[in-house]
Amino acid sequence: MVRYATALLLLCALLWLHLRLDGALPLAQQWALVTGAEPAGFDQVRFFHSALPRALLAIMVGAVLGMVGSLLQQVTQNPLVAPMTVGASSGAWLALVCASVWLPQLGVDHRALVAITGALLAVALVLAIAGRNGMGGLGIVLAGMATHILLGAAAGAIILLNQEAAEGVYLWGAGDLTQSDWRWVQWLWPHLLLLPVIFLLAPRPLSLLRLGMAGARGRGLSTGPVLVVLLLAGLWVLACSITAVGVISFIGLIAPNVARSLGTRRSGDELLFSALMGAVLLMGADALALAASVWSDNLVPSGTAAALMGAPALIVFARRQLAGQGGALAMPPGARHLHPAIPWLTGLVVLALLAGSLTHVAGSDQGGGVFSWPSELIFSLRWPRLLTAAGAGAGMAVAGLILQRLIRNPLASPDILGMSAGATLALVLFSLWTGTSIYQAGPHVAFAGSLLVLTVLLLLGRRSEYAPAMVILVGISLAAMIEALVHFVLAQGGEGAHNIVNWLSGSTYRASGTRSLVLGGGIVGLFALALLCSRWMTLISIGDSMALSRGVNVPRVRLALLLLVCALCALVTTVMGPVAFVGLLAPHLAMLLGARRVRPQLWLAMGLGMALMLLSDWLGRVLLYPQQLPAGLVAALLGGSYFLFLLSRRRPL
Amino acid sequence: MQPRISRHLLSVLLLMSLAVMAGAGEITVRDDRGEQTLPGTPQRVVALNWSLTGDLLELGITPVGVADIEGYNQWVVNPPLPERVADVGTRAEPNIERIAALEPDLILLSTDQKGLAGTMERVAPVLWFDAFRRDHDNVEKAREIFLTLGRVFDRESMAREKLARQQQRFEKLSGKLREHFGQDLPEVAVVLIGGPTTVRLYGENSLPQHALKRLGLEPAMPQPPSQWGQNKKPVSDLSAIDEGILLYLKPTRLAGDLFTTPLWQALPVVEQDRVAAVEATWPYGGVLSLRYLAEHMTEALLTIDPDA
Repeated sequence: MVRYATALLLLCALLWLHLRLDGALPLAQQWALVTGAEPAGFDQVRFFHSALPRALLAIMVGAVLGMVGSLLQQVTQNPLVAPMTVGASSGAWLALVCASVWLPQLGVDHRALVAITGALLAVALVLAIAGRNGMGGLGIVLAGMATHILLGAAAGAIILLNQEAAEGVYLWGAGDLTQSDWRWVQWLWPHLLLLPVIFLLAPRPLSLLRLGMAGARGRGLSTGPVLVVLLLAGLWVLACSITAVGVISFIGLIAPNVARSLGTRRSGDELLFSALMGAVLLMGADALALAASVWSDNLVPSGTAAALMGAPALIVFARRQLAGQGGALAMPPGARHLHPAIPWLTGLVVLALLAGSLTHVAGSDQGGGVFSWPSELIFSLRWPRLLTAAGAGAGMAVAGLILQRLIRNPLASPDILGMSAGATLALVLFSLWTGTSIYQAGPHVAFAGSLLVLTVLLLLGRRSEYAPAMVILVGISLAAMIEALVHFVLAQGGEGAHNIVNWLSGSTYRASGTRSLVLGGGIVGLFALALLCSRWMTLISIGDSMALSRGVNVPRVRLALLLLVCALCALVTTVMGPVAFVGLLAPHLAMLLGARRVRPQLWLAMGLGMALMLLSDWLGRVLLYPQQLPAGLVAALLGGSYFLFLLSRRRPL
Repeated sequence: MQPRISRHLLSVLLLMSLAVMAGAGEITVRDDRGEQTLPGTPQRVVALNWSLTGDLLELGITPVGVADIEGYNQWVVNPPLPERVADVGTRAEPNIERIAALEPDLILLSTDQKGLAGTMERVAPVLWFDAFRRDHDNVEKAREIFLTLGRVFDRESMAREKLARQQQRFEKLSGKLREHFGQDLPEVAVVLIGGPTTVRLYGENSLPQHALKRLGLEPAMPQPPSQWGQNKKPVSDLSAIDEGILLYLKPTRLAGDLFTTPLWQALPVVEQDRVAAVEATWPYGGVLSLRYLAEHMTEALLTIDPDA
């Protein structure tokens, strides 16, 4: 009870601070207005119709995020599950971006439906992929993050092609609580009646769930249907609150973790206290956003403040609970042996793609669709692009393979685990801080970012011996921070804002001859290093004890391999921006094709990565001619779709 | 020795005369990278930015290629773009091969496109203008760019004449405003409605505010200069407008039901009926786009009762 009293007291203090920051009306006047006095004069109207509904909405939405987050985490028994990690927020975001571009006449009110539909579809997709067995482990989180990246890439593509039209949803994407009447409070509160229902009905099946599905069934209770209904109810309220205020994704992830670390034990207790913590956290974040808005001349969206505050907090709170979660996932079954023709075939495909991209002429006005030998000019324009695409594909494939072997998890990938996110975050921050174009930031900034993430990973991971959960946690935190910053930039508006989206899509467009040669050379060097390390990788992927018994200094080798991955990611990210999914997919495919030992897998994955990127670059160049889509974006769409297809076919992850 | 010297002399003379012949049409201009030399008056120009496209059209030059034509026609509109111009893709990543196929003799880049200059230069000479910066006057810069383009295309007198005519137009509009409001012109704030709760406030270094200044009006909510001259603000901040007028640019499709909310209704400017809507105009255009802004804002201001 002390816990509740303290939290309530904190909430009241934050409410007072919040209302002070938003208008600064004397307390007596505030009280008079709350108890029914007619607001007179702008300051009073502002308090009553803007500050008060905003504060109330912060409490309401915070409570929803907290309780639904707790529900999701208890059902899946997974402390990393939250609206963002199961794809709800990116589903809603994509749906709204689509609506604002293709149905601009759609009223603000209908956005609600669009967002809810998008969110529910995305969650359904993730749940379908993960399946019942995948829910508890890292499977659902990885599937969710993959969906998140895929849907984010799709939204990015639409924004790039319709920059001005998408403007209207940017602030919503950033998540902002600013109110100008009671409309959203009135709209949202009836939906909140589901919260007490959840609180009353959920604890029993949830406690049974803790005993394990089998135990529950043994008592003659089928928890399945009840939980599905409760989950749907929770997602519905969640989608409603996303609709009202936009994407504020961090609170739902962190509130239940805070609640647990403050000592909640029983299910109902956790649900209730998570709701309270959610309200406290969002209130605090929103107060911070208010203060920052005053300080910076520009409105700082609440979601940005929440993510910037929440990301480090998540690591601190979730760390301990995750320590036990090691969970080695089985590699997918595939061909037993590598057919001798496959390496040759891959090489041929790469060569064919190279030749095709070099000679293909797009667009009807240039006699399109035919192949002709490029002129000297065209050749000099194309080869740096191709070299960059091939180099990036190879680099990410090798990085992904090393990570998958190291972490013994076939879903590990540098873009999901935050290695490239570090470089990206550094570049985005640099561009924000100095007010320059993101293209002008040098490679050293990207490298510094990658190194920083590596350091954090090493510091946090040392005790857990670099457990997968920890690495994924850092990845999620970084991804959320980047997203929040990007939405902040977009919400600010201005002609330059879209450059960041463009850069984030990973493009070969700006590759110069020298830069692409540096990339190519660097990748060749690092690939050679990876080949030298292949014995270590083989031993470590079997198991630490095996590696130890063969005289491998496991911690030091892990460090060396992680450094190698970071170098690869920093190199690729600096030259062409973040490249998603290639690092995940290429090693996978190589494995499926039968390359089970490290060395052949390295070679084959590299070839497949090159082929995927070359294909993406070519498609991006010709599909929407004369407009072009960044290669990284096409790769994310291609790779992401294939990845989801793959996951959905192999239920047990 | 003699013949060799004379041969050297001859070749030097020949080279000099060649240089003179070539120099007859050669144009040297400064862009924001330094001194640039063009072989002659460009005939086929590609503009990869909308404000430069507008500048060209104002000078009576039809570019052979423009980036994102659909967007231009939807958002910039004025001056209208002739049909026969080729679309060369997006502004962030214009299709360089298509540009090369158009065989241009000049490519124009702006602000964020500096990184494209190196590659574009392999296709044709490039001029890059750093049009929008926090640390310079965007409008003074826009004027400079327009005059530079006038010189490049051998239409400098036309450019100057257009600027002079624009100045006359400003004075005329300003006269109209004085007729309406008296000698003491009100202070004005210009915003774009960004959603049901937020506005984009144009401040120092923005085209709307500059157009106001040229009409003799002062900002009602002065903002420190920024790159694009705008800041995002919650609607409640507009209560800071004291005696002034609030103008909002159309389109207002993002506004939702902002105009019926109690907060909007309670804003002092709204209560006292000193608000008007301004016809849609692209607020990031070239120097001559100031005229459209000034015309439309004057139109809007004249609908406001001077005694309100």
